[in-house]
Amino acid sequence: MKSKNLSERILRLIKSKGFNNIELDPVLETKYILQRSGENFKRLLFSFYDLNGRELCLRPDLTISSVLRFVQSKSNKKQKVFYSGEAFRKTYQKQESIIKNQIGFEILGSKDKQKEDREIIDTSIKILKSSGFKKAVLKIGNVELFNLLINKLDIPRRWKNRLKRYYWNESYFNELLKRLETNEDIDPVFVEIDKSRYLKMRKFNSSKEVAGRTYKEILDRFDMKIKDPRRSSSGKINTRIIKEFLKIKCELKSAPYVLNKFFQKYELNIFVGKEFFPFNKINNSNLKIEFSASNGRDVEFYSSMIFSIEIKKGKKFKNFISGGRYDELTSSLGFRKVSAAGAAVNMGVYE
Amino acid sequence: MNKNTVNIGIPSKGRLKNDTLKIFKKKKLKIYSERGERDLFGYIKRISNIKIIYLHARECIEQLSLGNIDVGFSGIDLLKESEINIQNKIKVIKKYQFGKANLVLAIPDLWLDVQTLLDLDEVADEFKKKKKKLLRVATKYPNLTRQFLYSKGVTQFQLVKSLGSTEVAPFTGTAEIISDITSTGATLKANNLRVLKDGEILKSQACLMMSKLSLRKAGIKKIINLLSK
Repeated sequence: MKSKNLSERILRLIKSKGFNNIELDPVLETKYILQRSGENFKRLLFSFYDLNGRELCLRPDLTISSVLRFVQSKSNKKQKVFYSGEAFRKTYQKQESIIKNQIGFEILGSKDKQKEDREIIDTSIKILKSSGFKKAVLKIGNVELFNLLINKLDIPRRWKNRLKRYYWNESYFNELLKRLETNEDIDPVFVEIDKSRYLKMRKFNSSKEVAGRTYKEILDRFDMKIKDPRRSSSGKINTRIIKEFLKIKCELKSAPYVLNKFFQKYELNIFVGKEFFPFNKINNSNLKIEFSASNGRDVEFYSSMIFSIEIKKGKKFKNFISGGRYDELTSSLGFRKVSAAGAAVNMGVYE
Repeated sequence: MNKNTVNIGIPSKGRLKNDTLKIFKKKKLKIYSERGERDLFGYIKRISNIKIIYLHARECIEQLSLGNIDVGFSGIDLLKESEINIQNKIKVIKKYQFGKANLVLAIPDLWLDVQTLLDLDEVADEFKKKKKKLLRVATKYPNLTRQFLYSKGVTQFQLVKSLGSTEVAPFTGTAEIISDITSTGATLKANNLRVLKDGEILKSQACLMMSKLSLRKAGIKKIINLLSK
């Protein structure tokens, strides 16, 4: 009952900020989840087939349903929406429920990203104030900073792409860093054996296909790989820079100074201004605000600003609100690009 | 089924069947069938409480989890591929030196640029970006393949279930790559496929297993001891 009253209070507050309530489909096509998150996430879905053979699933989160609704409506107008409901995911943890109660709010399809980011964070802080939780930490990060750093490092393009793609998967990312140090993915013995076959293949029609790839695609990539100019010493330095960057944590107000000092130290020619920190002044002595370069690494679809609000419950801090900007989500689902920012409130903290 | 009878599942065909029967022979346990060679039931001379059931190695795992057979012979690959609730109901008693094979990830031999999973991951990403589709992996082992690829960072792929002749999938447009079980690699090679350098998913071998539902069944311990020593 207490939780119900609180969720109603939160919904009223979001509405008062100009967001409109929408209803979301409880079921969506599994292929969208597969496109966004791949096979591993698919195993957590409650999926089934309809009579036409389409694979459907219960919505695993509300954001994807909301974004799909917007993109399929073909509207280009800015929309401020909010929704609440249940999302369904299988779990291996006995104590964890398969039903997740969520409240979400989003700004879809507008152009002024900084203003929207500020609006999403401001609304989240208002929700925190009305929630009854006294102590909290707001952590903010920005994936664009990481991408800027990677672009400036002296490493092959394919390695830059790998590191950006696996930023979200921390354990595999660390595995990649180990390999970056040693250039482990090129075996000189194999390269020599394959070189003669490479020369033979060059003589054939380059548009000929083998298992969905043309000879040209295969040979061009082979070429690019063996011409990799990387030395193992540069791999070590780059790995150190990346690790050091991801450890940066400081008060938000000093973040530009700390980051610029870091970039200067390694002569990376990057300057960070206020545009990365979409903030109004916050007067809340119970709210600690910090910048963390590695914040929010577990949710794959964010494209720039990421934030989370953790509340102190008992002796532990628990995630209460998390959000950010996800401009690439719709294009990863095979639709047109839609600018989007939003946040989700985890009502599970009241249980 | 008689409550006092211990049901033993044996693979119904192939090398796995022959090697399993050798174990019985070595223990001087003579198996006979009442209705000839095609009879899928058998008995052991002078031991009245054992019934032999010949079934597919995959079916053997299913029936062990249900407790319909008490003891069974099958491959560790099939056990690990099964759902977790099935695995939890089966105990591996002994691993044998036969039925050895590896579950591997194989790609077309002409994909010269792909040597490791890191390469494969890049190609999978290229598929998604340029061709707007996911790289497809044909397999009879979707669970093990999914777990393996994900643990190695390859996330952009789609599994295509295969029921047999998986090796042809990359050349018939069914999938781009495959995961399959191989003992010598000869079939893969004959079909213009090559195992990735770090593409070994699982080492498999034949096992003696028992159903956890049969732990307290009369006479089970004696039979397990007899077969496993």
